[in-house]
Amino acid sequence: MYSDAYDPLDEAIAGLPLEEPPAGLRASILLATAYRPAPLFSLGEYVAMGAIAAIALWLIALVVMGGGTLFVHTIETIAGTSARTLSNGATLAWLAAGGATALWISLFTGFQPAAVLPKRSQPPPRR
Amino acid sequence: MTTAPEEDGALVARALRGNPDAFATLVERYDRAVYHLAYRTLQDSEEARDATQEAFFKAFRSLRTFKIGSKFSTWIFAITYHACCDRLNRRKRYAGSELPERADPSPGPEDQAIALDDARRLRAAVDALPEKYRTVITLFHLQGKQYEEIAEVLGLPLGTVKTHLFRAKEQLRKLLGEMEVS
Repeated sequence: MYSDAYDPLDEAIAGLPLEEPPAGLRASILLATAYRPAPLFSLGEYVAMGAIAAIALWLIALVVMGGGTLFVHTIETIAGTSARTLSNGATLAWLAAGGATALWISLFTGFQPAAVLPKRSQPPPRR
Repeated sequence: MTTAPEEDGALVARALRGNPDAFATLVERYDRAVYHLAYRTLQDSEEARDATQEAFFKAFRSLRTFKIGSKFSTWIFAITYHACCDRLNRRKRYAGSELPERADPSPGPEDQAIALDDARRLRAAVDALPEKYRTVITLFHLQGKQYEEIAEVLGLPLGTVKTHLFRAKEQLRKLLGEMEVS
């Protein structure tokens, strides 16, 4: 049915000009891929900023609602609880065990801390 | 003295090492062909533009899955073809019915083609082909007689590609004949 012999139609098809892409297409492709601007902050930085903002808001609310007394009392309570928790040997042992397990699992899943992740303009790493 | 253009595989390797200029060179090399394939398949310039962007974005995101040693053109055409198929399927869903096997003949490329030169008449005839034949002819235009690569792009057996190409050319001849008569 099919022949590889010379066919003038093949030549005519090969001679058709390519469609002209719309102006700006190449620039928009490059801006979405290779030259994609790096984001101002990484995801971890956004999370940290959100956490700091939430704590600041909470502290401001404490001062507004209860004045200096409530603020000082809350800070003292937090500091006391933290000190008691961190001076408990069993709690520290559990924290160490949890951290070690997380580190061990990360060796198998390929998880990388945010600091060593590639820049956004680079292709994602091979799984 | 001019230097030979860098091969696609080497550009991919450099892009994977984080060199943005290497991927930019690949975009410059193939954006026109990719747009051409998308436009001829979808027959809509806006959708072709979006499909071209989508194809390069997907290629960039999955560059690590590209097998060094295979042809970048075949790979990017395959991604483009799949992007176009998704769009055609979406069109079918929204239209609520099957697309016509042939492009709407009215106002008719045949009618319009009387005054056209040979190339424009051939283009009008290609546009009037059913989608599956139009795509195979477009890839034949882009890739030449590299049937295995056309088969890889379309995900079809080699024999099917050759049959589609044969039938597409038969229909083209018929359409061109009709245009000559009118």
